[in-house]
Amino acid sequence: MSPTDTPERAHALRRLVRRLRPGPRRGYALLGLVTLICLLSIVTLGQAVMRDLNLLRQASSDNVQWTLSQAEVEFLYFEKALDHALVAPGDDRSPVVTKFDVFYSRINTLAHGALYADLREIPDFMAPLRQIQDFLDQAVPVIDAIDSAPIARLQQLEEASEKIAPVVRQLSNAGLFHFAAQSDLRRNGIAVTLQRLALATAAMIGALGLMALHSFRLGRAAQNSAQALEQAWLRLNTVVQTSLDAVIVTDRHGRVLEFNPAAERIFGYRFIDIEGRKLGDLIVPPDQRQAHEDGLRRMNESGETRVIGAGRVQMTAMRANGETFPVEMALESAGPEDNRIVIGFLRDITARLAAERELVEARDRALAGEKAKAEFLAMMTHEIRTPLNGVIGSLSLLQETALTDRQRRYVNNMALSAQQLMHHVNTVLDIARFESGIVEAAERPTHLGRLVQDIVDAQEGHAARNGNSLQWSWESEPRDWVMADAVRLQQILLNLVGNAIKFTRNGRVAIELEALPDCDQPGKTCIEFRVIDTGIGIPESAQARIFEDFQSVEPSLQRQTGGTGLGLGIVRRLVTAMGGEYGVESEPGQGSVFWVRLPLAPAEPSEDARPARASAGRSRPLDVLLVEDNEINRELAREMLELEGHRVTTAPDGLAGVSAANDHRYDLILMDISMPVMDGLEACRRIRMGEGRSRNSPIVALSANVLPQMRDRILQAGMSGFLGKPMRVEDLRALLARIDAPADQPADDTAPSRQDPADPAPEGPAAKDRAPRDRTDDGHAPGQPPDPVIARLRDRFRQETDALFDWLATSPQDVAEIAARCHKIAGSAAAFGHLALRDALVAIETRAAQGAGPADLAPLVDAARAAWLSPAAAPRP
Amino acid sequence: MTLPRIAHHLRAALIGALALLFAQPALADLPRPQGPVILTITGQIAETNAEGAAEFDLDMLRALPAETIRTTTIWTEGEQEFTGVPLQALLDHVGATGTTLRAVAINDYAVDIPASDAAEGGPILAYERNGAPMSVRDKGPLWIVYPYDSDSRYRTEVIYSRSIWQLNRIDVTD
Repeated sequence: MSPTDTPERAHALRRLVRRLRPGPRRGYALLGLVTLICLLSIVTLGQAVMRDLNLLRQASSDNVQWTLSQAEVEFLYFEKALDHALVAPGDDRSPVVTKFDVFYSRINTLAHGALYADLREIPDFMAPLRQIQDFLDQAVPVIDAIDSAPIARLQQLEEASEKIAPVVRQLSNAGLFHFAAQSDLRRNGIAVTLQRLALATAAMIGALGLMALHSFRLGRAAQNSAQALEQAWLRLNTVVQTSLDAVIVTDRHGRVLEFNPAAERIFGYRFIDIEGRKLGDLIVPPDQRQAHEDGLRRMNESGETRVIGAGRVQMTAMRANGETFPVEMALESAGPEDNRIVIGFLRDITARLAAERELVEARDRALAGEKAKAEFLAMMTHEIRTPLNGVIGSLSLLQETALTDRQRRYVNNMALSAQQLMHHVNTVLDIARFESGIVEAAERPTHLGRLVQDIVDAQEGHAARNGNSLQWSWESEPRDWVMADAVRLQQILLNLVGNAIKFTRNGRVAIELEALPDCDQPGKTCIEFRVIDTGIGIPESAQARIFEDFQSVEPSLQRQTGGTGLGLGIVRRLVTAMGGEYGVESEPGQGSVFWVRLPLAPAEPSEDARPARASAGRSRPLDVLLVEDNEINRELAREMLELEGHRVTTAPDGLAGVSAANDHRYDLILMDISMPVMDGLEACRRIRMGEGRSRNSPIVALSANVLPQMRDRILQAGMSGFLGKPMRVEDLRALLARIDAPADQPADDTAPSRQDPADPAPEGPAAKDRAPRDRTDDGHAPGQPPDPVIARLRDRFRQETDALFDWLATSPQDVAEIAARCHKIAGSAAAFGHLALRDALVAIETRAAQGAGPADLAPLVDAARAAWLSPAAAPRP
Repeated sequence: MTLPRIAHHLRAALIGALALLFAQPALADLPRPQGPVILTITGQIAETNAEGAAEFDLDMLRALPAETIRTTTIWTEGEQEFTGVPLQALLDHVGATGTTLRAVAINDYAVDIPASDAAEGGPILAYERNGAPMSVRDKGPLWIVYPYDSDSRYRTEVIYSRSIWQLNRIDVTD
């Protein structure tokens, strides 16, 4: 906020606050009215009191009492005049008449005046009045004729009046007593009235005081509330002014009432420039203005709001320079219906959205990287394994030929090295497959004693080479029969035992089994497997990390003993997958104890515990349909199958395979995946969906691709299993044994299987290494094609390869044709272990599939030819 | 008698003496009463027919403008009809210039009546009650009657005290 616009801004905000304030207080007017009424009442009452007092004063000169006493006075005047007339008979007698008349009139007034009606009710007054009236009536004839009346008559009158004098006094007194009593009553009445008036006045003064107090409090409250409002306004103003978000207030027509500094910064307008202008024309992009206007109209017409009060919404806003940008916005309305204001809080989220986008991209990249890594690992392993299999296969073939002792020794050495390499590769592949999450437990009744004994048997020689003894024992009551994934358990123990042997010289390695008394899993027994050695031990600092991948205590030792550093990593994964725990206790120089606790359910003894054994030996002859486009591979597989005693029908592509499967019911269909015309997945789907005779037959994929996602595709297509290429007789036998087995076991899609079902001897944990051992130990390779067949195929392979390069030398332009021919020879090259050639040909095929022209392929063709002609690149026969 | 009153009387006497010296023709302004005199007006008056006084018999009063008032009074029973000379007319007739009328009755009852009471619709000097002259025994022959029923102002003790009956003298003073 710049200093210059502060007043305007403050003014606008104050005006805003005033809009929300309630109207003028009407209480004061009412209070004033009440006060006025009270004042008028008091004045009126005061006047009444004054008047009453005045009247009271006048009452004190009340002539009623005077009249009563006057009656006596006038009677005395009359008597006096009469006496005078008697004493001086010669004098004028008219005064007597006058005095009589006056007295007469007085009595008459008392007898008839309305004023004395009350008095006449009193007997004490009435009786004397009657006597006096009688006296007057008797006196009237004398008075009327007084000038001629004799003295005697006057004396009679004198005597009568003397008699009546006390009566006149009695009358006067009676009246006076009565009026005195009445006067008292009236005074008392007035006093009471005055007291009431005083009370009323006091009450009114009190009420006025209370009202004044109330008014004072109201005033104070109003002052306080005004102060509070001022403070609230100041706070609000500070909040609004310092908010980092734009705060915009408009009236119900969308005209700007408030536009805080953040809003100025974000939108590029100055408040003093846009106050009162329509907000929609300023910050709403032109294409959204109609919607904005509609929204305002809805709010004004029906009170319906969509954005207002809906919390945070994202919208697009526009800056003064026309640039649009994303905002997060919250709208609220306030105030009465007809004077509603809309308050908007807006935040420029350009940066946030960009950051979010970057984060998402980074996450996607990381995930893709992880996936790529896993795929790369699996692919690389596969890429290594395929040629390695070629080497191993070729070595086994070589061992069948006539060799000198020296040659045989070399070949055996080569076979051992290849075996070691294959072991490493398989370990890495195991890790990759764990990471892909495709390993599932397969629990079967397993005899723990036998399983451990097998390991001991297999590892005894190994242990002996290091001068170690190897024993095992139950430390508790034996619990031999349990439900367990024997393959995994074997691998766990084998890895631990292998390590123990590896790091122990001239010592002792012992396997202890113990059923623990407590197990947190109901219905299961926790069994602890301990592998105890007297070897070099592990320092405490290293114990925590040795179960991590690629960890070893000492890299130099690692190199010396030879290992991938993945053995314990695999143990960790397997134990965790089986719901168990693992750990190590070790003392450097003293030895180590590796322990594994697994919750295992007890099982009924079963002789099928090792189905591989039960089905060992030759399987019955089967009708097999072999669908394979590579002729050499096809011939190799056919040779193998026929040597095993099975009947083989071949088909060169998927379509032909589907046709053959429809015509005949085969016991097994071996299906290549990558084929011309129709690939194996499609062919499988058609067989399964169709009505052909082999629609329910097991279909097993033949593929060099062992990537995890391929497994899913194979299963989705309806295939029962997977056989690696090049095909090995052991894998084939294992497969055939499963196919032949009455139990419909799920096909093992791993390639190659660690468990060798075809091995006639209980081979045990060294299974991975079995392929070469088949040859080295057994000395023969049952089911392997005999030499002449191999030789014939190899010749044919050489001829076909030469033919390919001859054709390529003619600079063919048909890229698809080049790809197809290279693919065909590549498959054969792999089978014969000519890996450089295979890779070079696959490169051509890949580039061709990517749309490269013939000219682009030329360098690759040259490379492939060089690989084919180089004597060092591959074992040429 | 208070000093002001003495001074007043001295002045009245002086005025009377002066009137005798210089205002002889005024004596002829009012006729002499033929019957018994029932009212004598003295004090600050312009018209006289006696030594410093205006004397009236009943016929003279009857000759003046008359007015009838129908009203009740606290001294009588029932509504009464009074006929007499409006006090205002009487004062005009004698050219009274004072502000206070001292009215005196036969029995020497006296009361001061402000001249301002003599107004239109105000008191009359009644000489007839219910169509007949009033005897002394009947509060006659003259009675100052206010129209009590016409206005509450006329129903106060003060007004009642001014309602003098058996009236025979009026002294006009300041």
